[in-house]
Amino acid sequence: MQVFQKAICADERVWGNTSASHSLKQCPSALCGKVGKVQETPCIILPSCPYAESVRLQMAERTAKQQLLRDIKRHKSVYALLAIPLIYYIIFKYVPIFNGQIAFKDYMALDGVLGSQWIGFEHFRTFVNSYYFVELLRNTLMYSLGKLVFSLPLAIILAIAIYESNRPILRKTVQTLAYLPHFLSWVIMYGILLALLAPGDGIVNDVIKLFGGKPIDFLTNTDAFPWIVILSDAWKEMGWSAIIFIAALMGIDPSLFEAALVEGANSWQRVRYITLPSIRPVIVIVVLLRLGTILDAGFNQIFMLYSTPVYSVADIIDTWVYRQGLLEFQFGLATAVGLFKGVIGMFLILGSNRLVKRFGGSSLY
Amino acid sequence: MKKQYFVCIALIALLSFVSLPLFSQGSKDSAVDGPVSIDLWYGAAVTEAGPPPADWVGFDIIKEKLNIDLKLTTLPSNESDQDVKIQAAAAANNLPDLFMVRRDVLARLVSQGLVAPVDDLYEKMPTRTATHYNEVSRNHTKFNGKSYGLADPGSIVKNEGLLIRKDWLDNLGLSIPTTTDELLDVMRAFTFDDPDGNGKNDTYGYGAFQEVNNYEAWPGRRLEPILGAFGVEGTWDMTVANAGLTILKPEFYDAMVYLKKMVDEGIIDPNWLAYKKDDFRAAWKQGRFGIMREQNAAFAAQSNYAPFDKNFPNGEWVVMDPIKGPKGHASIGPYTAGFRIYAISAKAVEEGKKEKIAELLEWMASDEGYYLLGWGVEGVNYTKDANGIPVADGLPDPDLAFSGPVGQTVTQLRNMVFYNGDIELYARYPKYITATSKKEMSALDVLRTMQSKQWTPAIGSDMLPIPSADLKRFYEQGLSEFITGKRTLNRTNWNTWIAEFKKLGGQDWNDKGVAFAKENNLLNE
Amino acid sequence: MKKRRRFTSVAVKPTAADHSFNFLVDLFLGLLLLIIAIPLWSTITLSFRPNDYIGNNLEGMFLLPWNWSTSAYEALLGNAGFLLAFGNSVKILIGGVASALLLTIPLAYVLSIPTLPGRRYLNLFVIVPYVFNVGMIPTYLLVTNIGLIDTLPAVYIPVAISTYNCLIMRSFFEGIPNELKESARIDGASEIQILLRIILPLSKAIIMTIGLFYGVSFWNNFFHAMLYLNSNALQPLPILLRNILMASGMNEYVEVSAFGDAPIAAIKAASVFMSAIPMVAAYPFIQKYFTKGTLLGSVKG
Repeated sequence: MQVFQKAICADERVWGNTSASHSLKQCPSALCGKVGKVQETPCIILPSCPYAESVRLQMAERTAKQQLLRDIKRHKSVYALLAIPLIYYIIFKYVPIFNGQIAFKDYMALDGVLGSQWIGFEHFRTFVNSYYFVELLRNTLMYSLGKLVFSLPLAIILAIAIYESNRPILRKTVQTLAYLPHFLSWVIMYGILLALLAPGDGIVNDVIKLFGGKPIDFLTNTDAFPWIVILSDAWKEMGWSAIIFIAALMGIDPSLFEAALVEGANSWQRVRYITLPSIRPVIVIVVLLRLGTILDAGFNQIFMLYSTPVYSVADIIDTWVYRQGLLEFQFGLATAVGLFKGVIGMFLILGSNRLVKRFGGSSLY
Repeated sequence: MKKQYFVCIALIALLSFVSLPLFSQGSKDSAVDGPVSIDLWYGAAVTEAGPPPADWVGFDIIKEKLNIDLKLTTLPSNESDQDVKIQAAAAANNLPDLFMVRRDVLARLVSQGLVAPVDDLYEKMPTRTATHYNEVSRNHTKFNGKSYGLADPGSIVKNEGLLIRKDWLDNLGLSIPTTTDELLDVMRAFTFDDPDGNGKNDTYGYGAFQEVNNYEAWPGRRLEPILGAFGVEGTWDMTVANAGLTILKPEFYDAMVYLKKMVDEGIIDPNWLAYKKDDFRAAWKQGRFGIMREQNAAFAAQSNYAPFDKNFPNGEWVVMDPIKGPKGHASIGPYTAGFRIYAISAKAVEEGKKEKIAELLEWMASDEGYYLLGWGVEGVNYTKDANGIPVADGLPDPDLAFSGPVGQTVTQLRNMVFYNGDIELYARYPKYITATSKKEMSALDVLRTMQSKQWTPAIGSDMLPIPSADLKRFYEQGLSEFITGKRTLNRTNWNTWIAEFKKLGGQDWNDKGVAFAKENNLLNE
Repeated sequence: MKKRRRFTSVAVKPTAADHSFNFLVDLFLGLLLLIIAIPLWSTITLSFRPNDYIGNNLEGMFLLPWNWSTSAYEALLGNAGFLLAFGNSVKILIGGVASALLLTIPLAYVLSIPTLPGRRYLNLFVIVPYVFNVGMIPTYLLVTNIGLIDTLPAVYIPVAISTYNCLIMRSFFEGIPNELKESARIDGASEIQILLRIILPLSKAIIMTIGLFYGVSFWNNFFHAMLYLNSNALQPLPILLRNILMASGMNEYVEVSAFGDAPIAAIKAASVFMSAIPMVAAYPFIQKYFTKGTLLGSVKG
């Protein structure tokens, strides 16, 4: 019999279990304490683990099944807490997924979901074989990745700048103002963009003309349009996205900064070694969740901004579905595209989650 | 591990089955004696003004006289939103008893068996049928030989016109252009010769925006007068001799060359590709351009003309004749009969509500219903002038006038009773004196002038098959890319593009359209 | 030295690196302020712009306040449907945020318990519907079949748990030190007691934030209201707003507009600000909970 401590590692299982999947390699290095052996099996022991100190499991004599039962019993009240949200998920999230079988059916309203004829992957074929499929996919990825790598860092920088600034008035003003554009709908945003960028009388083009340049048709030019989409999204949503990071920054223990100061760290080092790592879990979660919906590139925005001359760089999956599916009673098609997007998103989430785990970050599951 | 996954999936499957009863349709409660309830999804006259209040007198009258409990739902003002809402309700087989719907959507509801034929209703509603329906309107909703919706008169035909700034012409000593060449000269003069004399280079010749829908292809109706000069106005040529898509005709290329010239020379407002309808309308009120195609009321109704009048008291737009092209062709554009379709769901017929719906619609067309829905209560919302025309004068509370913000809510159903009769037109477009320049204006006079110009009949062109989303995009994107210069416009490129268009389904679309038009006798001499 | 504010009593002389850092932070915020404020100002003034300045952005922006016209706001407040729609929106907001938080907090908490058997599967169970968005019709069928259609809860119940918000909240709960929960467990507290007595008081900031996220999404939810609400008496603000914003054909078929003489562009801008006011006003209250080192006292104590 060997007494050892339970570790809070990525998959919350007790290390030392004979399951082969718990080889040393998979252990996230950041959480590893000492490495030892229990009954010939390599295992990791975390003597400093706070949880363990109160629990002190006697593992070796238990079979996995007994342990599971015990764990479940111990968490009885937790499951009770879970009951209502779980039922909610089944009704409001899984029943629609069940209804999503119309993606494989020729949906007839009178026959209902179950009564309609199966047609296999017909809707998926329609989508994948559509004339512009590759372009749609390319544009969609361009916008969602563009927004991810551009807007998200900007939001994080904004949050940190607000957190670090020594000027309370500036800080408060920016924080409140940056939050406002989120409430402007894209109809209004289009008005703003037109006032700024219209080739005839936009303010930017007035300035260009003042310096003797030729006016640029920003909104209908295929080179400029993607930038307009990404930048206008950043402008509108930056302050809004920063809120969650500001909230995360508030949880940082100030004593860490004191320690850093004593160590002689300057402001840059403080941000790099304390601030950023402290909000890393939230950043990781946000990025992972965004990856899960990578094929949603912002329908409302594109739909409002695009026009025929820029279709080649503006048409995304959702706008295509809107024109092809919703307006033509092809709900099976719309649902099929939703599933298609889901499969890609699921792969990305699973893949990146695995990566995150390997590098020892907090993961999604 | 595998086993656990399996258990997980099995669990989810089990739970889904447990929740299956959720799919069963709830049983419909049917009242035996009380008033018959009729759900009506209607298109409001002015959606943003708000729906009729819950205590609207109309509800009581309808209950008392017809034993009908009318339940109103205002459809969203945006057409795509309307389509989505109706189609979602259709997917759940939960359509209202009577609802407004666009023809494309109706066609799909018919194929799903969700709407009922209305052929037998016409004779049950003699008053309404006399003023509202005719052969064309019945044909408009005909699928497989049956009429599946009541096509009420919609917008007035030929209610748009080509307008030019007379004051600009006078300033520059020019006369109204009649040919495409003269038009070019005038547009250049409007752009470069400071027609408003403000010393700034801030004007353009032609103003437009892209206005396309399922039946009107790129570049849309604002530029139809230009296409009309080349004989390629409208998506479809509806003549017996040349039936087919206009884009496939050689003259379309010439029209494109002309259009491209306008764009390259900068004599069309460069914002035209970026404008939406409101921006375009704000632009002419700011005096940005001197030639445009505009709708009669959007141009001449009091509140619409007022800002222009204030900005340019000496400004004057006149309705001009369409421009003659190289072959002498001229047209403001194609026109169809505008309809507003009301359909009855199959469900309502099953529930035995058809008779009641006919009664309701017939009552609406009676004098009582017509004035109540059209203008409200006499003495409260309107009074009649010496000629019997409803006017907003002499009311105890002017806020309640049918044209006022509150009064508008009680006349939201007016599109269900209006049929563009003379009374309506006089009431809608009264003569007035402009505030600044003291001109006498009337949107009705403008309408009459517009209607007298040369138009191309294309009745029924809005019944022809529509292209798939991909084909439509190819069509519109290609044309606009030729215009913006992303594709070089020359014969070779054009022919290659047309060939690709045909291959993608354009030829098929063309053939189907022509066949449909022939079958239904839609072509003109 | 006075610059070493807020954090600490430790006195360390700021280095050149600190100075450059502070300068860049303030420069960034200052530039951002300009970039955000200018278009925003132009839109705000647009809502106050009298008819003759519509379409004239540059001059309109610098119009002095006594030349402003409040006709757009008057017209909106005089709109017959405005108060009714506002009331419905408030009902949706309260019902929505309450049910969303009541459902999300327990779920997020349970998912944050590291020792919970089956946690991995629970997490997957929650993530799958987030990724697989089957779209409008499957949900519409559900809402119709369970009789929620044409009731206000139809607008918020189907979206009462946002998986995104739930998982964000979970990651904040995970950040709360385990000692606290453990000591409570040893004292025999039930999970619900732990949630109520330990987690919630420490998580005010994130709960307010997530509540704000929910609130704003319900407040702005046009699409579900459009789909699920039929009765005219139930229409909330976003529907009215959309009808105003999308009414591009305004005035085409009518002799007088629904908003009197107010310019359409001003009406549109004003309607956006009017509807955003409650949410914008709520933000400073939520910021109050954003105080640094929220966890400090409790962990040490």
